[in-house]
Amino acid sequence: MAETRRDFIYRLAKGAGWSAALLGLLDGTVHALPKSEDTDLAILDASLALEHEAIAIYETALQRNLFVPGLRAYAVEFVGDHKGHRDTQIGLAEERGARSAAALSDYHLGGMRSGDAALRRCLEVEIAAQRAYQAVNSQIRAKDYLLTSAFILVDEVRHETVWKRVLGVKIY
Amino acid sequence: MSDYASADDALGAIEGFEADVDRYLLRLHRTVPAARAMIESFRRDRERHRTHRVRVRRRLGLGASATAAASEAREAPLDLVREAQSTLVYAHAEALPTLDDSVSVGLLLGDMVDLARQLTVIDLWIEAEAARG
Repeated sequence: MAETRRDFIYRLAKGAGWSAALLGLLDGTVHALPKSEDTDLAILDASLALEHEAIAIYETALQRNLFVPGLRAYAVEFVGDHKGHRDTQIGLAEERGARSAAALSDYHLGGMRSGDAALRRCLEVEIAAQRAYQAVNSQIRAKDYLLTSAFILVDEVRHETVWKRVLGVKIY
Repeated sequence: MSDYASADDALGAIEGFEADVDRYLLRLHRTVPAARAMIESFRRDRERHRTHRVRVRRRLGLGASATAAASEAREAPLDLVREAQSTLVYAHAEALPTLDDSVSVGLLLGDMVDLARQLTVIDLWIEAEAARG
């Protein structure tokens, strides 16, 4: 049976090391988490995991020269956004005295060898990031982090929308 | 942190900015037939957003909105449409910390996602116009 989008986002988040509670928010089995510093830190960690994965995908695709010239500028812009999101969230974790999640050593990108494969992988991670941020943001307690995370979500929507348009996926 | 002193203040600002965008959309809908399907989709989102804000106001014990229906703008250059839409998107983000209610935050976040998608569509439209010269 084909994997549904919901299953795919769940798999990506699980692979990125999301906790059971946050995965529950994604699959609808958990509706609310306690508003606490611990919840904020868990969300920060989970968000960072997705940012690391997005950066790895874009950097690998750029190094392999998989984007056609008209799309390369978008990829450069978007990886820059993801690096900004990563650094901002590392800063937020450090302000709270926490150590942030490190990037994995391998994101299994060996098979990403064509422009089409790169675009589809980029779209997948952007959809996952957008859905994930949207699912968890309402559980954030700290107002500064909530605002920052909302700004990040706006960027993720832009990335997702651009790749959908490029791949001919319906937007509206 | 946020430019808004209260949820009521933030929701009132969103409603004002939404009316600004709607004035441009009315103009574009009448003058750019090729954009009608897109604008009608945007309007359907708007209707849902208004319903959400009614629900948010009710949850937070706030009074109803007094924003009047928008009248058509005299012109609608895309750079100004984009600026108005961007203001509306970020007003949603800045409203979130004033709400102190997870359900309300969830509702406005969803609306912000719709609006950010619309903003990107406007960006792509501007890029396409520029590419055509």
